Amino acid sequence: MNELSLLANSLWVGGALVALGMVGLVLRRNLIVMFLCAEMMLQGVSLSLVAFGRYHGGLGRADAWDGQMLVLFILTVAACEAAIALALVLMLARRTGRLDAAAWQDLREEGQPAYVDRQLPEQPAWEPHWPHLTPAGVRPSGPAEVQRFRERV
Amino acid sequence: MDDTLKTCLILIPALPLGAAGLVAAVGPRLLRSHSHWPLIAALLGSLLGSLIVVREVAQGQAAARGPYEQIVTLWTWADVPEALAARDTTLPADQTAVRPDTPDALPFRIEVTLRADALTALMLATVTFIALLVALYSVGYMAGDPGYWRYYSYLGLFVFSMTMLVSVSNFVLLFVFWEAVGVCSYLLIGFWYRKPEAAAAGKKAFLVNRVGDFGFTAALLLLWTTYGTLDYHDRPAESPAPATADAADGAAAAADRVLGILSPSRIASEGYATGGLATAICLLLLLGACGKSAQLPLHVWLPDAMEGPTPVSALIHAATMVTAGVYMVARCAPLFAVSPTAQMVVACVGGSTALLAALIALTQFDLKRVLAYSTISQLGYMFLALGTGTFSGVTGSMYHLFTHAFFKALLFLGAGSVMHAMGGVIDMRQIGGLARLMPWTHATFLVGCLALAGVFPLAGFWSKDTVLAAVHDRLHQVEHVRQLRTDHSDHSGKTALYVASGHAAGPLAAWDTADLARAERVYRWLYQAALLTALLTALYTFRAYCLTFHGPLQVPPQAGHHAHESPPVMVWPLAILAVGSVLVGLVCLSDPSNWGANRLVDFLGGTPSLATGALAATRVEPEFHLPVAGASTLVALIGIGVALYLFLGEARQAEALRRLADLEGIQAWTDPQWVVRLERIGVIALGVGWLRRVGLGWLVTLVGYLLGVVALVLAIPLLVASWVTPYRLSRDKFYIDELYQMLIVWPLRGLAAVCAWLDQRLIDGLVDAVGRVPAAVGHILRSLQMGLVQFYALAMVLGTLILLAARLLWGPA
Repeated sequence: MNELSLLANSLWVGGALVALGMVGLVLRRNLIVMFLCAEMMLQGVSLSLVAFGRYHGGLGRADAWDGQMLVLFILTVAACEAAIALALVLMLARRTGRLDAAAWQDLREEGQPAYVDRQLPEQPAWEPHWPHLTPAGVRPSGPAEVQRFRERV
Repeated sequence: MDDTLKTCLILIPALPLGAAGLVAAVGPRLLRSHSHWPLIAALLGSLLGSLIVVREVAQGQAAARGPYEQIVTLWTWADVPEALAARDTTLPADQTAVRPDTPDALPFRIEVTLRADALTALMLATVTFIALLVALYSVGYMAGDPGYWRYYSYLGLFVFSMTMLVSVSNFVLLFVFWEAVGVCSYLLIGFWYRKPEAAAAGKKAFLVNRVGDFGFTAALLLLWTTYGTLDYHDRPAESPAPATADAADGAAAAADRVLGILSPSRIASEGYATGGLATAICLLLLLGACGKSAQLPLHVWLPDAMEGPTPVSALIHAATMVTAGVYMVARCAPLFAVSPTAQMVVACVGGSTALLAALIALTQFDLKRVLAYSTISQLGYMFLALGTGTFSGVTGSMYHLFTHAFFKALLFLGAGSVMHAMGGVIDMRQIGGLARLMPWTHATFLVGCLALAGVFPLAGFWSKDTVLAAVHDRLHQVEHVRQLRTDHSDHSGKTALYVASGHAAGPLAAWDTADLARAERVYRWLYQAALLTALLTALYTFRAYCLTFHGPLQVPPQAGHHAHESPPVMVWPLAILAVGSVLVGLVCLSDPSNWGANRLVDFLGGTPSLATGALAATRVEPEFHLPVAGASTLVALIGIGVALYLFLGEARQAEALRRLADLEGIQAWTDPQWVVRLERIGVIALGVGWLRRVGLGWLVTLVGYLLGVVALVLAIPLLVASWVTPYRLSRDKFYIDELYQMLIVWPLRGLAAVCAWLDQRLIDGLVDAVGRVPAAVGHILRSLQMGLVQFYALAMVLGTLILLAARLLWGPA
């Protein structure tokens, strides 16, 4: 039989992909990024499928390609689904001009309060306050503005 | 089984029912103002049938030389073999004879049976005859009414119910038709249902009847559990009873028959429960009869029932429906015969009702109300006679029922004629002097009044005399038994006489001497009350007559062009009834030399339940009681004389009498000023002056104050009396309606209000709360739909985590 530790490691990787994808799906607001995270979850699951395929094998034979074959099919389907999903995202983005999921929150139930982004507090205009240092070294020659600004370094 | 008799028995109720159905079906569209023809034809047929039944029964009685009855069984309505499984333990062990069939299970079997015997025949003849005359009269009275067809339909239904009530041979069916006549009464009283008073009167009649029906139902239950059957007649048992020891030691009970409650076999074998059970049954039956026949305390519906059309009052509330109670008690005479206590209660109820109603009728100014109270009073007479428990009493009450039907229907129809002519006004204060205006009505009404007052030789005289004689006889019988008992217990050698007179073992044997003394006092009071009632009857009857037909001519404006004699279709029934009222008493006399011998009484004596047993044992040779007849004629003449003196011509004396009865001026006596005026009287003034000079003036003042206090204390009853004067008591019906309003109606209304509040707030509130739950749940769940995709994704992730956790924690390891 195959080693369990190989399976375990593969499963850890797959699980990590799923977890990261889940977290990203929940936390990100960009539609394309949310879709990317969902795809990442799908890839994690396919990896686990490959690992299970290698571990449990196919009817006792050493070389078993059942899991990997299934994963190929899954990837195909995932590609189709990606096409549809991105087309939808394109239409959604065209409608509002933004890729923000919160742009569509008017689809909520009546009477529910809207989700308003936390506004950052107004930053006062920053006045540059350069220290006045005594000039050191030799004054370079040339016009004053060139001394202050050089196009290329 | 005679075919003619069977056909007649079935046709007599069926024809009016068919006519009622026909009128109801095609009346509104097709028949309209001709809706009376089906019913008049049907009633003619029923009357012919009733007369044939009377003839057949009379012939049967003559042929059998004794009691005669025929039973017709139509079909079986209910048959439950073992309806009551437990052994009834209320009967003492020595009364197994009462229920000779299987003691383990009581069957409940009701067959629709009709019977023909003398009592039924008499009632059928009375009902159909009066109904025919009323139907004829109504052609004129109800002409032009939009509900004409409805009236005749109800009338047909009523005659069907009443004829079935008197024809059936089963207590349950009696109750069914008892209720049916109550329903018809409700429909007919509230005939003009858009008038609120009429609708309320119909409702009141039905509800008060219902109270009586409650008693009747309880009596039915007791009868069934005691006797195992509810038939009057014997019935062959379906399965022969097994020859067990129980059947063997039952007395005289045939094992192949179920004895009816009122059958001669049971009477002969004395298979009746006695004691408390019998009294309970009889008192509950009496309650039912009081409801239907408007006796105290359930009489309150009858005066209100005058809201219905007058022919309805004549038929239902004078001649037929209210006599159903009298018929029922007469039919159950064997049951009452084993309970002398119940008989005394019946007599007391009848006597007090008669007196009370007569007192109320003295001051009514609505002619129909006077006649209504008169009906209540005469029904009281009938119950009084029934309560004597003797053969002459029971038959006398039925005789009075028969004659009363004639003259009371006559009086009511006459009042209807007056009302028709006066445009619906029947208030005697607004009408007067109609004798010249309506000669036929006047003449027939006078005949009716004379018959009601009991003037020789009209019908009322004979029947009222029979009633009074029965009470008198009962009084003497009780006296006689008490004296014998006292002599017997004194051991003065009269034992043989006591035993030989049969009283040692009769129903009165159960009473001890104190009971007998009390019974004697009661019956004596009842006799005197009956005589007083006869006086008052004559008085109020002729008061009503004088106020309506004599004095200055007074026609109310509502009469319009109606103020003339009624059309012939209304006058002919009056004339026929007047002839009947005069002749029916004389026709019943069978022996010119002995005025006590009566054809009707002999005919009724052929009823099986009256022909055997303790009741028949009290039958004596008929004799005419001259003292009683003389007393009743004397009081009638006194009453008529006083009424004519007071009310004929100017009513000055009547007014003075009314003021006296109203205790006018009594308030002047309550003023304590007379104490002060006392001081000025000669002798007392001298004494007071001397006391003051001596210095004892304070004593005078003290005495004065004490007298004032005494005066104030004495003033209280006088003030109370000035509010509740005899005149007002009589005019306001002894405030019984107000009493019921306070004791029954107001608490029930309060209870209904409480229930309404509970229903609206509590129960509806609960249901509404349950209805609000989905809305609340929705309100909570709505907050999950934020419109934010990440929240949805979070929810999905959380759900996955929960499933995972559940699988790990509670799933298979």
